[in-house]
Amino acid sequence: MSLSLLLEKYDVSTDEGLQKALNEIEKEESEVDEALSGVLSRACSLEGRLRAASQAYTKLTEVKTDAQIAADMVDKTAGLARDVSAKVRQLDLARSRVAECQRRVHDLIDLQLCSAGVEAAIKAHDYETGAGHVSRFLSMDPGSVAAARARGAPDPRDAMTRAANTLREHLVRKFEEAARKEDEASVERLFKLFPQIGRAEEGVDLLAKYLATQTETAIRRACVVSDVTSEAAVFADAVTRVVEAGGAGVERARQAAATHAPGLLHRALRVIQPAVCSGVRRIFTELVLARRLESDPHRSGISPLSAEPILAELALTHSRIWLYFTFLRRKAEVDAAPLKEDQKKACVDAVEKIINECDLMRTAQDILGHYLALERYFLEESVNKALKLATPQVGVTTSSLVDDVFFIARKVIRRAVSSGSVDGACAVLNEVSSQLERGAAGALRRWLRAPPHEPLPLPGPRAPRYPPDPVDKDVEAQKILYLAHMNEAEAGADWAERLASEACAAAAALARSAAERDKLTSCAAGLGTAAAAFRAAHDLALSALAAALHPKIVAWAQRLVDPAPHTDEMEDDADALPQALEQLTEAARAHISARAVDALLVAALAELAARAEAALTHNRYDREGGLAVERRARRLAAWAGSSAGAARERCARYTQAAALLALEHPSHARDALLPTPRLAAPEAKEILARRTDFKMEDIKRLKL
Amino acid sequence: MEDYKFLFKVVLVGNAGVGKTCLVRRFTQGLFPPGQGATIGVDFMIKTVEVDGEKVKLQIWDTAGQERFRSITQSYYRSAHALILVYDISCQPTFDCLPDWLREIEEYANNKVLRILVGNKTDREDREIPRHIGEDFAQRHGMYFLETSAKEAENVERLFMEIAVELMEQAKCKELPKYDGSLGPINGKTTSVGDGSCCLRS
Repeated sequence: MSLSLLLEKYDVSTDEGLQKALNEIEKEESEVDEALSGVLSRACSLEGRLRAASQAYTKLTEVKTDAQIAADMVDKTAGLARDVSAKVRQLDLARSRVAECQRRVHDLIDLQLCSAGVEAAIKAHDYETGAGHVSRFLSMDPGSVAAARARGAPDPRDAMTRAANTLREHLVRKFEEAARKEDEASVERLFKLFPQIGRAEEGVDLLAKYLATQTETAIRRACVVSDVTSEAAVFADAVTRVVEAGGAGVERARQAAATHAPGLLHRALRVIQPAVCSGVRRIFTELVLARRLESDPHRSGISPLSAEPILAELALTHSRIWLYFTFLRRKAEVDAAPLKEDQKKACVDAVEKIINECDLMRTAQDILGHYLALERYFLEESVNKALKLATPQVGVTTSSLVDDVFFIARKVIRRAVSSGSVDGACAVLNEVSSQLERGAAGALRRWLRAPPHEPLPLPGPRAPRYPPDPVDKDVEAQKILYLAHMNEAEAGADWAERLASEACAAAAALARSAAERDKLTSCAAGLGTAAAAFRAAHDLALSALAAALHPKIVAWAQRLVDPAPHTDEMEDDADALPQALEQLTEAARAHISARAVDALLVAALAELAARAEAALTHNRYDREGGLAVERRARRLAAWAGSSAGAARERCARYTQAAALLALEHPSHARDALLPTPRLAAPEAKEILARRTDFKMEDIKRLKL
Repeated sequence: MEDYKFLFKVVLVGNAGVGKTCLVRRFTQGLFPPGQGATIGVDFMIKTVEVDGEKVKLQIWDTAGQERFRSITQSYYRSAHALILVYDISCQPTFDCLPDWLREIEEYANNKVLRILVGNKTDREDREIPRHIGEDFAQRHGMYFLETSAKEAENVERLFMEIAVELMEQAKCKELPKYDGSLGPINGKTTSVGDGSCCLRS
C-alpha cells in the first residue's frame, strides 16, 4: 500500500490514526521480509540450473557441426545416384536402338527375300510360301521400310506391293479356275491364303460366290415339284429342300472362314441368300397357282375339307422358312463369338438386316397372308357348318355344337402356332375369339332366349283336374334339347378359358421378345370375351328356367300358408311340396349340371319363401292351422337341408315365421326366434297377430 | 393387378407411310423417330391416361399399311373400340384409298366402333388435300376429323385424349356391359362401347 493511500485511509492527524498506519506499515514490512528471505533461499538452485544450461549449449554446438557434415554426405550421394541412373538410361536407349537396328536389318533382308521369294513362289506355283512372304511383309514394322527409304535405298515396298498384287491376281485366277472345276481341295487350300495376304474379305466373297453357284445348282434341283396335284405337302417339301441347300451353303462358308476370318458371315450370306430367295419365290408362285390360292378364298370355291391339307402345307412352309432364319441367326452368333462385343453386335445386326430385307422374308409374309385368309375361311365355314348341324330340329335331343366348335378352334390355333409366327398366332386367336363369340355363343343365346313350355317339371299342389295330356314326343325332345344347349353354354365358357391358357402356353415359345409375349397374351385374352358371351347365354337360360317355374311356385306358396289343417291326411299334406321339389330336382339333375341345379333351386326356394311369407300375412289362423303351416315349413326346410344345401338359408326366415304361428302362447315367441332372429320385432308381432286366439295386448306387451 | 378402370383398344389403319407408327410413338413415347421403317404385322403399345380423375388404359394397335399384311391387320378390327383411319395430307393417293379402307372397316369391324379420320403431316409444305376436303369426307361417313403432325406434336395428344373421353362417355352412358362384365380382355374391367352416334367435332 502506497504512502498516499495510507494517508487517505487513516487520519494521521490523530495519534490513533498514526498508530493504525504504523501498524499497517509494520505488517507490510514483515511480509516483505518474508518474501525476500524466500527469494534468497531459491537463489542457490537457480545458479545450479544456469550452469547446467550453459554446459548443454556447448554440447549442442558440437551436434550441429556433426549434422552439417552428415547432410553434405547425403547430398553428395544423391548427386552420384542421379548420375548413375542417367547412365543406365542412356545404356537402355542404346540397347533398344541396337535391337531395333537388328530388327530392321532383318526386315530389310527379309524384304528383299520376300519380294524375290514371292516372285519365285509364284513361278513355282507354291502359293503357300508366297502368301507366307506377304504375310511376313504385312507384319513388318512400317518404320523399317521408312528407314530404308530414308537412307536413299530404292523403296522396297514398291517391289513388295507389286509382288503381293501379282500373287493376289494369281490366287484369284487360280481360285476361279478351281471353282470352275469344282476342285474342292484347291478351293479350300486357296481360300486359306487370302487372310494371310490381308484380303480375308475378298476371299470370303470369292468363296461365297463359289458356294452360291453350287447352292444355286442344288436349289434348282430342289425346286422341282414333280406332282403338283398331289395332296401331300409337296411344296413344303420343296421349300424345305431349298432352305436346307441354302443352309448347307452358309454353313460351309462359315466353317471355312471360322478359323481364318471370323465375323464375315454376313458377307457370305449376302452372296448366297439371293439364290435361296429366288428358289423359294419360284416354288411359292407355283404353289399359289397349283393350290388356287386367292386373297379372298370365297372366290376360289375351295371346300373347307380340301382347304385343310393346303393349310397344313402353308403352315409347314412358313415354319420351315422361319427355321431357316433361326438357323442363320444362330450361325451369326457362333461366327461372331470370338470377336469383341461391339464388333460382334455389328456382325449379328448385319445378318439380321439381311434377313429382314431379303425377298425370302417377303415371301414368308405372303405365305402367312394366304394362310391366314384361308384359315379364316376354313374357320368361318366350319363353324357355320357346326351351327347348321346344331340348329334345333324336330325330334333332335342332343347337340354337340360346343364340342364341334372347340375341336375346330383348338385345331386351328395349334396349326397357327405350328406356323412359327407370332403375328399369325395372334391373328388366328383374334379370329377364333370372334367366331366363338359371334357364332357359337351368339347362336346359343338366340336359341336359349326362346325356352319351351315348362322345360323342367314341377308338379302343382293339387292333383290335375284332367288326366295329363299324352306325352308329346316332339315337345319332350324340344325340352331336352333346350337343356342340352344350356349345358353347352356352360361348357363353352369353361372351354374358352381353358383354350386361352392352352394357347398362351403353346405360343409362348414363339415369342422372341417381351413385346411379342404381351401381344400374344392380349390376343389370347380375347377368348375371355367369348367366355363371357357363353356365360351370358347360360345365365339367360337359367333365368328362363326360373321364370318357367314361377306359376307353380306361386300356387305352392299359397298352399304352404293354407289355414285349413287337413288333419286327416297330415303327413301327406306336409310332404307334398318336398316331394314335388324332389321330382323337379331329379329331373334337373338328369339334364343340367350340379352347379346349375343349385342355382335354380336357390332361386326357386328364395321366391317360394318370400311369397309364402307375404301370403302368410293375408290369412288368419287358429292353433291347428298354425301347426299345419309350421309342419309344412319344417318339412320344406328339412328337405332343403338335405337336398339343396345352398338354398337352405333362404328358408330360414320363413321357418321362423311359421314357428311363430304355431306357438301355444305369445310369450313363447322369444324361443321361436332362436338361435338367430331372422325377423325384426314388428314383423314377428304382425305374424303373431295373425293368430285368432292370441290377445292383442299380450302381443303388444311382448319384448323381443 | 394394374390400377385402371377402363381399357380401350384403339386400332390405327391407313396406307403405308402415312405416319401411323409415328403418331403412336409420339403419343406413347413423346418422340418422333426419323427414318422409321415399315411396320411388320402389328405392334402394340400401352398408355394410361387420366380422364376426369379416372385411369383409362389405352391399348394402341399399330398396324402395317402394306397390302401383304392385310389378313393379319383385319383380325384386329373386331375387338377395337376405336379405329383411327390415317391419310397423308401431302399425298393424294393415300386419300383416294379411304373408301377402300371404309369398306374393310364395314366388313370386319363392329358397327358401333368409334371412327376417326386423321390427316397427318400438317408440317409438310406440299399439302395436296385441303382441310375442308378431309372434313367433308369425314362428315359424309359419320367420322370424327382431326389434322395432326406427329413431327411437330400437333394435335396428337388431343387426338388420343378425345378418343379416351368419348369412349369413356359412351361406356358410362351404357354402364351395363355387353355381358356380365366380369370378364374382359386383360384382367381389367372393360366396358363395351355403346352405339356412339358419330358427329363431327373439330
